[in-house]
Amino acid sequence: MTYHYNEAFENPDYHYSETLEIDRSRERNSSFHQNLPESSLDDDSLYDSYEGRSGRGQRNQDYPMAIPMASMQPGFRYSHSASRSTGPNTNPYGNPHTNPSFEYEPELAYTSPSTFHAVDGPYVRRSSDVSDGGSFSQRYNRRQADLVYRMPSSLLRLDSNAETYNKDKYKQEEKLIKNLASMSSRERVKAIQKTPKTMKEKRDIRNKVLMEKTKTFVSSSTRINCCTQCLYKTALFYRRFKNGLSEYLHLLQLWQKTLKVIRGKFGTSVLSYFVFLKWLLTFNIFSFLVNFSFITIPQLIASGPNNLSFNGLELLTGAGYFKKTVLYYGFYTNSTITKTENNSSYNMQLAYIFTIGIYFIICFFSLVYSMAKSFCKNFINLQTYSGSAAKLLCIWDFNITNEKAVKLKQSNLSTQIKESLSEVTLEVLNLSLTQRIARIAIHLVVWVASLGIAAACCAGVYFLSRNELQLLEGNKSELENEAATLVLPIVVSLLNLLIPFCFALFGLIEKFQYPRHQLYATIIRNVCLKISIIGILCYYWLNDVATSEKECWESLVGQDIYRLIVIDFIFCLLGSFFGEFVRRIIGTKCCKKLGVPEFDIARNVLDLIYTQTLAWIGIFFAPLMPAMQIISFFIIFYVKKVSLMRNCQPPRKVWRASQMTTLFIFLLFFPSFTGVLSVMAVTIWRLTPSKQCGPFQGLTSVIHAVSGWIHVLDSYSSSKWVVWIYRNLIGSVHFFFILTVIVLIITYLYWQIIEGRKIMVRLLHEQIINEGKDKMFLLNKLRALQTSKLDPPKGEQQERSSSSYQPSRQDALQMTASLERPFGRNGRDFYAESSSAGIPEKTGLSPADEEGHQPGISETLALALRARQQAEWEMEDDDEEDFRP
Amino acid sequence: MRMKVYTFPSLSRLFYRYRDLAPQLVPLSYIDKPDVKLPYELIGSMAELKDNPFRQRIAEVFSEDGEGNMTLDDFLDMFSVLSEMAPRDLKAYYAFKIYDFNNDDYICKSDLEKTVNKLTRNELTPEEVCLVCDKVIDEADQDNDGRLSVEDFQHMIVRAPDFLSTFHIRI
Repeated sequence: MTYHYNEAFENPDYHYSETLEIDRSRERNSSFHQNLPESSLDDDSLYDSYEGRSGRGQRNQDYPMAIPMASMQPGFRYSHSASRSTGPNTNPYGNPHTNPSFEYEPELAYTSPSTFHAVDGPYVRRSSDVSDGGSFSQRYNRRQADLVYRMPSSLLRLDSNAETYNKDKYKQEEKLIKNLASMSSRERVKAIQKTPKTMKEKRDIRNKVLMEKTKTFVSSSTRINCCTQCLYKTALFYRRFKNGLSEYLHLLQLWQKTLKVIRGKFGTSVLSYFVFLKWLLTFNIFSFLVNFSFITIPQLIASGPNNLSFNGLELLTGAGYFKKTVLYYGFYTNSTITKTENNSSYNMQLAYIFTIGIYFIICFFSLVYSMAKSFCKNFINLQTYSGSAAKLLCIWDFNITNEKAVKLKQSNLSTQIKESLSEVTLEVLNLSLTQRIARIAIHLVVWVASLGIAAACCAGVYFLSRNELQLLEGNKSELENEAATLVLPIVVSLLNLLIPFCFALFGLIEKFQYPRHQLYATIIRNVCLKISIIGILCYYWLNDVATSEKECWESLVGQDIYRLIVIDFIFCLLGSFFGEFVRRIIGTKCCKKLGVPEFDIARNVLDLIYTQTLAWIGIFFAPLMPAMQIISFFIIFYVKKVSLMRNCQPPRKVWRASQMTTLFIFLLFFPSFTGVLSVMAVTIWRLTPSKQCGPFQGLTSVIHAVSGWIHVLDSYSSSKWVVWIYRNLIGSVHFFFILTVIVLIITYLYWQIIEGRKIMVRLLHEQIINEGKDKMFLLNKLRALQTSKLDPPKGEQQERSSSSYQPSRQDALQMTASLERPFGRNGRDFYAESSSAGIPEKTGLSPADEEGHQPGISETLALALRARQQAEWEMEDDDEEDFRP
Repeated sequence: MRMKVYTFPSLSRLFYRYRDLAPQLVPLSYIDKPDVKLPYELIGSMAELKDNPFRQRIAEVFSEDGEGNMTLDDFLDMFSVLSEMAPRDLKAYYAFKIYDFNNDDYICKSDLEKTVNKLTRNELTPEEVCLVCDKVIDEADQDNDGRLSVEDFQHMIVRAPDFLSTFHIRI
């Protein structure tokens, strides 16, 4: 009998097929027939052959003492091993009759591990009587059964009949191997990897498959010619090279060890922050490399010496000496750089705009890609599922290797479970109407307050910055001016640091039903604050600075961003000093109730998103901004790591690391990156670049550089296609219109497919539940039959048997248990069970007793089979009715 | 052909980890296929497993004799399943086996109770444990038979995206 559940789970075709497996029951029936020992396909003859066989099986009971009971037991496996020494075993209760719909008997099957060990001894002795080969084949069989669990049913018709067993085993293995051989090598590796077997067996299978492959290969093309061999060798070499390289790249990856330590001590949730940081760092390294090689290096070749003096304050303000370096937009030339030897030239304008444009396009796609990947991995499969089961069974973080962390995690888990249990009781407790209204009112007030605070911050920042612009026009000394510019970034960073605490205080007033709602609310408020501050700054830059007729306004914006990033970095360091170090000192020394601070993942990640947004805006105005970002991220990584190790404890609440990561990537994409893109678009299409400096001086807008270039290209006939692409694709509205329509159509199609699948999943789920009910029904029927038919022999035996052990009843029940036990058992418990059943038998019953109760068992079996047959016919009818349209 | 998820250097790293557990037992060369088994006490003392509440189950599930004594092959098997690159279904299958304390191919209530006690260091009262287990079975059991089969478990795993990253031991 094949297991359709497994098949359904494993076989992708099943999921995608449009039919709801209407012929499922029929198929099952047919497979049932095929699996019968001999070719008795007729139902009546089935019983005949079955009874005949059971008679023979009885005659065969004269093999070693312990085995008879065991052979009744976990079905076929034991009998195979026994067959080695006793010749053909005609045990009829083998796998073909295994029925998944038999119910399980927990009280019987569950034997505590200690009993396993206790009875292991005698078993070993007996098994050595049988033969060494026997135990080997047993072990093999265990795995064999595992195989059933994975492979498509067509391959795996396990027939336990010993006469056909060996033949069948080979057949099945052959089929499997053939199937594997027909796959491509990558698929095959995957398929083999997927089978839950030991290494040795996998190796065996692989070798056989390879042999098979070479056989067919040789027979199809009698000899391998030199070329294919050569190709094969290169492929092999390439693969080895790739493996080796990937391994060494793995070693090269940053902070591998640190991440492992963090994972071990704090678990996956805290790790997600560091992984996010690393991910942003790679973004910045990439953008630095691109900008440096395509914009800065050509400029460095062409530029003259810098004669401004350097004092320390520039590092903070980014003004002064840095004004005349490659750091800022204003320093770049608008000329074409030419080295005289050969006439190749380098157009700085085009290089600038294309480098930055292409960088943003790559960023866009990689963000969309990682967002989609993470979304698909973490959200698509989550349906209406509160997940306490998943919480319990998947929550243990196997990465944690630190004793203290393990203990902490365990106590956190127990409080969590207690909380969730109290949540269950809390849900029952209904709130009164006034309480509800009060709650909603509080939420509203808090939201209004937090949005009001954000708006007030924005207004403050805007007026401060306008003031500063006027301040710069006053005639003060250079140094004072520079120091004055620091006021704005300090205020912004202070707001960013303090307001989140204020928001956190709101959490004391607000009561949320679920803690995660509170988390989401806090995140949304913080994002609102940060993004609106950046938005108002952008408005100030684009609206006030750009139109202020100042010399080189782009460089001024670049300086502003530089200052913001530097000051924010300093505040981040201070924050981890005061927020974590001093807090720990207070928590451990003065006020014990506070305890060690937790690492606030959300706040830290939002800080990272904030700086990254600034850096993206800054790329146009200061192409080397990523370099600063790299340095600051490096330092932040180490500071946070040390602070975490010394001061913090892992967060107590559940942190759904992967879902939160998806959320953060989304936040990085939606308000942050899209905002940056719109700022860029305004800068490039609308604003007039400054007249005296920068690569675009003298143009009315930045994009004119490109259109001018296209105009030049138009005169060359060889590059007409570029012009065509520009005019018809990039410059045309129609193209984007059509593109949007296509994307919308595809989205709609996918949406419909998903809806369809949802319906199908629901139907299948109902079907599963129905099958479960069928199972229970059948089992009850079987039990009733058993008790009614077995009562007389059972009573007889109880009289005869000296021990309290009830062989026939127990046997029958164990039979049912073993019949419905489909696959993948560990060998050990199987030994244990067989021996646990074997011992009382040995002590309690004489061979005569055995003879006596044997017919009882076979009768039970016959009854069981008949009942099942009947039920299956019924079910077939039912199913057909169910699915009749 | 690349059979396992290991490439050569990490394979040798694993081998040396294995050997370091008992340098006097494990030979340097495996050419003549020596039959060496490390007892559970040594395997369980590895830094990666030492503090894991499920260490004994892990060792038992992956060892061929079911008692936690491991050959090199078993050892490699274990870390290949627990590595990053192992497919989800394989991981789910072995996680299921780890939680299936009585090896009966179903996670029944007694298994769940043991799991809960291991996860919480017996800090919950028996009633609470019972409640939790009932809730879990109620939620994850698809076919209403009162216990979790491999399919139920896999079905549940699909909805727990963190599982792939948490059922993972980096060596």
